[in-house]
Amino acid sequence: MRQLRLREIRAFYHGHAASRPLDWNSTPGLSLSPKGVKILAASLRAAVGGCPTGKGMSWAQAILLARGLSRGWGGICSTALTGAPFSQVPPQAPRGLRCSAAAHNPDSSLVPRPPEPPRRPVKALAVHEELFRPALDGTRDKANFVRAVQNFAEYNVHKRGHVDFIYLALRKMREYGVERDLSVYNLLLDVFPKEVFRPRNIFHSIFLHYPRQQECGIAVLEQMENHGVMPNNETEFLLVQIFGRKSYPMLKLVRMKLWFTRFKNINPFPVPRDLPQDPVDLASLALRHMEPDLSARVTTYQMPLPKDSPDTMDPTETHIVGIQSPEQQSALARHDPARPIFVEGPFSLWLRDKCVYYHILRADLLPPEEREVEEIPEEWNLYYPMQLDLAYGRSSWDDYKFDIDEVEEGPVFAICVAGAHDQATLAKWIQGLQETNPALARIPVVFRLSGSSGELLASSSELEEPPPPPPPPEGQEEEEDSQQRQQQGQS
Amino acid sequence: MASSAARGRRAVIEAPGRQQQRQERLSGQHERLWAFLVLGGGALLPRPSGLHREPAPAAHQSAEPSFRQGPLPGQDPEVDSRKIDQEGRIPDETLEKLKSLGLFGTQVPEEYGGLGLSNTMYARLGEVIGLDASIAVTLAAHQAIGLKGIILAGSKEQKARYLPRLASGEHVAAFCLTEPASGSDAASIRTRATLSADKRHYILNGAKVWITNGGLANVFTVFAKTEVVDSDGSVKDKITAFIVERDFGGVTNGKPEDKMGIRGSNTCEVHFENTRVPVENVLGEVGGGFKVAMNILNSGRFSMGSTVAGMLKKLIEMTAEYACTRRQFGRSLSEFGLIQEKFALMAQKAYVMESMAYLTAAMLDAPGFPDCSIEAAMVKVFSSEGAWTCVSEALQVLGGAGYVRDYPHERLLRDSRILLIFEGTNEILRMYIALTGLQHAGRILTARVNELKRGNVTTIMETVGQRLRDSLGRTVDLGLTGKLGVVHPSLADGAHKLEENVYYFGRSVETLLLRFGKTIVEEQLVLKRVANVLINLYGMAAVLSRASRSIRLGLRDHDHEVLLASIFCSEAYHQNLFTLSQLDKHSPENLDELLKKVSQQILEKRAYICTHPLDRTS
Repeated sequence: MRQLRLREIRAFYHGHAASRPLDWNSTPGLSLSPKGVKILAASLRAAVGGCPTGKGMSWAQAILLARGLSRGWGGICSTALTGAPFSQVPPQAPRGLRCSAAAHNPDSSLVPRPPEPPRRPVKALAVHEELFRPALDGTRDKANFVRAVQNFAEYNVHKRGHVDFIYLALRKMREYGVERDLSVYNLLLDVFPKEVFRPRNIFHSIFLHYPRQQECGIAVLEQMENHGVMPNNETEFLLVQIFGRKSYPMLKLVRMKLWFTRFKNINPFPVPRDLPQDPVDLASLALRHMEPDLSARVTTYQMPLPKDSPDTMDPTETHIVGIQSPEQQSALARHDPARPIFVEGPFSLWLRDKCVYYHILRADLLPPEEREVEEIPEEWNLYYPMQLDLAYGRSSWDDYKFDIDEVEEGPVFAICVAGAHDQATLAKWIQGLQETNPALARIPVVFRLSGSSGELLASSSELEEPPPPPPPPEGQEEEEDSQQRQQQGQS
Repeated sequence: MASSAARGRRAVIEAPGRQQQRQERLSGQHERLWAFLVLGGGALLPRPSGLHREPAPAAHQSAEPSFRQGPLPGQDPEVDSRKIDQEGRIPDETLEKLKSLGLFGTQVPEEYGGLGLSNTMYARLGEVIGLDASIAVTLAAHQAIGLKGIILAGSKEQKARYLPRLASGEHVAAFCLTEPASGSDAASIRTRATLSADKRHYILNGAKVWITNGGLANVFTVFAKTEVVDSDGSVKDKITAFIVERDFGGVTNGKPEDKMGIRGSNTCEVHFENTRVPVENVLGEVGGGFKVAMNILNSGRFSMGSTVAGMLKKLIEMTAEYACTRRQFGRSLSEFGLIQEKFALMAQKAYVMESMAYLTAAMLDAPGFPDCSIEAAMVKVFSSEGAWTCVSEALQVLGGAGYVRDYPHERLLRDSRILLIFEGTNEILRMYIALTGLQHAGRILTARVNELKRGNVTTIMETVGQRLRDSLGRTVDLGLTGKLGVVHPSLADGAHKLEENVYYFGRSVETLLLRFGKTIVEEQLVLKRVANVLINLYGMAAVLSRASRSIRLGLRDHDHEVLLASIFCSEAYHQNLFTLSQLDKHSPENLDELLKKVSQQILEKRAYICTHPLDRTS
């Protein structure tokens, strides 16, 4: 029993050997020296092993001592016990015995994003970094990643520094495109030594046993959660082997299993996991996503010019994809040509991490006095009467409708997604619409384009610059009018 | 004219004499509800002498033996239904024979060379013709709808010109109403007739689909839009009916449709391209085509009851033959309860639809050209659904043998499926039955409903008192039984059930009208139930009447009829009770809201929504 304890402590000690220098270097402000830790370790060892007479007493003492010491470190432990997130390379916090220290920062995620470069060169990590050297042909795929993990296990029989390796691997996953692969996560968890960190008694369970390892385990699960990877039975089995049933990673796993199933299909309008790269495909996906009518037809009015063509610079040669349902088509046909219709936008639509901007073709709501009352024609149905000749309607106590104040909006006739948000591009869309909506040729179209199209426009370099501020609408309308007249004259 | 006559009769019922007033005070609204039940039909209930009152003419007696239910092994029939089904056409010899029997002009008046049969006799003939569905449909398309327009709305000259040759079968008629875009929606008819410059012809253009006899016919009744100047001077598109001969030119037809059943009948598209129709060939008035179409459709339906009953009788014979000879476990099939049950069902359905059909036919034959379109629709709905259930059950008795083509059951099953669809689908006819009935009831109840809505204390107290008495359990007696009653005492039980149903149905209808008013048009599920109850009530009335007549006349096996009548009354009674309870407000039996929700969600996605049972989230 005692042997085991000692070995555990030693293993733990070794496990952190690699990263220790970093800690010392990075925490100059704290009055903690290598010597202090040695004293702590010695006293612990004494408490654990050096008290042959009263065994139970000594265990309690040891734990209390450890608690006291850790408190003496300025409440470093407490953040870890509450399971608060911590950053991987805390510049100011030391890694103490069985306690991890973290600046309590709710915004920081468990694993920093890969593009974020480490704030200072980390020598210790470089030890494992070379495992993730790009292969000869420079490809980074699952096979390479798996090989790196296997190499670690192979060359490092004692699994020295496995916690750091796992953190490193977690950060590298995105680069290798395996961040959604359950088997890779299971492989990572498999790096942990088995049976070592399991709590042996109730006190181990009460006090965070091997906190750094447990946090590392939680970090793996957290990254799975962020990428929507559902743990499977193998994950559970591994965690039981590594940390035991009564541990924080297991708690996390149980919670994930409970909530993932409930949240997985919570979105009634699911977006596919892998969005199409082609802008035309993405646009039609976005349009389908917005349009509830399944009979609606997506039309590509203009394909983007291939990248290598000489006039790529011409902004009007971008893609224009529109959608229109048969009902919208007939509504447009019925529209009173005396009333103008408007092209409005751009409005933003987010599909996962991509933003699409769309424009709508809409009209103002008719004033109540001009609305046509739908009347039932006399000779309509050959088989049964369409209305009853009765003087009374539905009684008020049989009216189940809630009293809702609804803001009525004018009809939307079509939606389009275009690569550019200027008037020239959108005029092409309107021209394309005229082929299927002949009535559109007689209706004046007013472009009401807003200058800013959304919050991310400035930051994203891919998007075109915002469209020029629209000229006063009257003049534009006239211009459009004359354009339409010309077209009419031609046709 | 028809409707005005009907209205006149209703007026008599609505304005009862003193004696009737007294009765009404005694029995509440029964008079009105009776009027509602037998809407428009002046004949209230049993009219024992109304059934089968004419002697059978020679024509159908000679026709009967010539039809055999074809391909039972060992029979050599003159009309081989199986061959007709397989080849997809009726042999010319058979058609010639039908023509020589005068079956192409059964309802054409004798002065125009037809047989001039009454409706009752026409129904009787239908029983024989119904043995082969393809022939029945061909004949029905010819005379029940094809040339019916000329009889109903044609002028003397038109009748004289067309009817003789149609009656002899020299010419075949077809009815062209349905279009690709227009089923029962008359407003979307695209076929157009424009008056030529000399105002002597209409130029007809358009396409009609699913025209029975479209390939055989020489004379078409075509419905097309024409421009009509209204009384206020505005020009409107209205429907006009035309008699179009194939010889007018520009009439072409597509190839026959490949159908599931009634394969021997000819169904195809008919196209009209600049067909010149003389103005004399306008059927009825210009712009009056809608009414013509409605009258033709409404008049053609009642005969389906007897046609199906004729087929079912034959079916019961054939199936019973099989059930009594096939042995399993040392017993014949007929000894098993589950098989016996099916025969009882078939007999009951056949009996009810026969009774309904002949009651309706008798009412139509009553003097004064009564409007029995609701009754006819009820007969059509009941008999078509009965046919489908019974053929399916009969096929079940045969088991695997029924599924192969050695027995006629599979053909009958395919043939009978069309009955639920043509001549107005059953859904549409249910709407017709319920709405026309409610319209009538609504007119009568308007004053009362208005008083209730205005909060007239006396009326409200009266209503509350009535409801209270109802809930305490009242016995309803409308006088069907008893000393002067028309129902025989041995059927008293069924009669009481009918009376009770009628009474509470009246209550429900009143409540429904009070609740929904004219918006009830949109409550299709409610209307369906109203129609179902009405059909059951009409069926009950018909069987009680017929069985009573049989007992009183001392017909053979009338005890069997009493059994069937009692069974049906009992079944229908319980069905009605359940349906009526569904019509109550906040009824736990009524799942309409849930059903609507489910279907909305499905139709929004246009797919079955539930995930696969093997799907998991983890």
